[in-house]
Amino acid sequence: MPPKSILKNSAVSTNAPPASSKPVNPRHLETAIHHARILEQRKVVERQVLDSIITLLDFPSTADADPKQPSAADARQFRDFMVPFQPSDYDSLIEERNIADKCGYALCPRPKRKAPSTARKQFVDTAKGVEIVDRKVLEVWCSDDCARRALYVKVQLNEEPAWMRQGGVGDKIELMVENADEHHKALPLRLKREAAPKAPAPKDEDDIAAAWAARDDALADLALERGEKPGRLSKANKDLMTENIKERVVASKPPVAPSLNEGQSHMAIEGHVPKTDAATAEQDEDEDPQDWDKHLPG
Amino acid sequence: MDDRENYGASMIRMWRVYRTAKQLCFDRGYQMLEEETQIPLAEFANKFMREDGEPDRGRMHFSCQPTEAMLAKYAVPPTAKDPNPPPQIGNIWVEFNADENVGLKQLRDYMQHLVNGSYYNGIMVCAKPMTGMALRLLRGSAGLEEGPKGGVDVFVEQDLLVNITKHDLVPTHILLSRDEKSQLLERYRLKETQLPRIQTSDPVARYLGLRRGQVVKIIRRSETAGRYASYRWAI
Repeated sequence: MPPKSILKNSAVSTNAPPASSKPVNPRHLETAIHHARILEQRKVVERQVLDSIITLLDFPSTADADPKQPSAADARQFRDFMVPFQPSDYDSLIEERNIADKCGYALCPRPKRKAPSTARKQFVDTAKGVEIVDRKVLEVWCSDDCARRALYVKVQLNEEPAWMRQGGVGDKIELMVENADEHHKALPLRLKREAAPKAPAPKDEDDIAAAWAARDDALADLALERGEKPGRLSKANKDLMTENIKERVVASKPPVAPSLNEGQSHMAIEGHVPKTDAATAEQDEDEDPQDWDKHLPG
Repeated sequence: MDDRENYGASMIRMWRVYRTAKQLCFDRGYQMLEEETQIPLAEFANKFMREDGEPDRGRMHFSCQPTEAMLAKYAVPPTAKDPNPPPQIGNIWVEFNADENVGLKQLRDYMQHLVNGSYYNGIMVCAKPMTGMALRLLRGSAGLEEGPKGGVDVFVEQDLLVNITKHDLVPTHILLSRDEKSQLLERYRLKETQLPRIQTSDPVARYLGLRRGQVVKIIRRSETAGRYASYRWAI
């Protein structure tokens, strides 16, 4: 029989995960996943904004488009793109378009205006007199009209980032256009469903089905109010909420003030009864009064 | 150096940036002669000065090939599925952007150029910091199909005026290959998560182009031991 090694079994590597790891608390796991999903949603939104800006760099689709009367398709796409934007994102869009030497308004095909000279600061005549402004400020738009139209969009944008938005607010962007009628016609009609006409002969089953349908509708409305889109990840985490509410165990006896046992009350000092055996034990130890000099040398 | 008086400030500035960019490629392990990293100002001006005395950034671009040692360092161990994997490095393209503002448009053009020229990665040196959206594109582009495989490093000229690794207080950083990393982990019986870390946004990590998961060996002078080596895991 070979001698048995006293060393650790080398087959077990230190890299192996500890075998007796605790089972994961499902609630912690749920919470972690919930937050990870929120982060993921944020990434999706940021990516979406970036893609929109890249697309809007080459807007409008035709070179002879008129910012006053954009084509219906362009206008609709622009409006859809604007929904997840924050004002700061819109500023980046303007900046990027200016770098590409275009007017800051995404529906305008013209190049940006050139300042009269290449100096860094420029004189501008305004109603209040002459003002000195940065050249950059002058070279943002192709005309004052475009500036007005672009800022008209900007003020409608929601300051809240899209992944934190509550729904129902700011998901409708209006454009300042002169052919507004065309756009509204071009939009897909989104009429609210009329309330279902009452069934002529109400039955129990129909009632139940109608009740469930009403509940589903209400849930969908609630989801919309939370800012969810159909098909997107739900923000309401059902798993983190438990529907069974448990009462705490009720004490059977009503609570009473603490009271001492009978016969002890005369020993109590401010409600505390000193232990008598401890006192006697100490006395036993201290029985020799000359104990203290035993350890002294000499 | 009396010849400095003959050149404008922007010329001298660009010369220093160019020199640091060359040194950066040399230190990362690309094929380059030692002399190239120490190009004298007169020669630089000869090559890249326009008539008006300004540097011509459009002509300053260059490309490098990795050395054998660098290819070995970035080699990937073969697997059963892929018995002969290509190393995770390739030719690099360094460009100096002359535009005042660099936005999405320039960055995407640059990426397109890298992909067309089948460069593995690129370095873009721009005069001013990029716009926020361009940085966002850059962050997301490492694993993206539209950009080059190795991603794009963006430096501002200001950052390359001096070579930070030449500073007295910056210790030597040496990138470990995959083999060396696994040997290290075995020697010290570590998991890689147990190593100290370094951010990939760290100036030296950016200089060396570290990627997530790589390990650098940092060698410091030590009063007691002469040299002291420590390791950092890039995250």
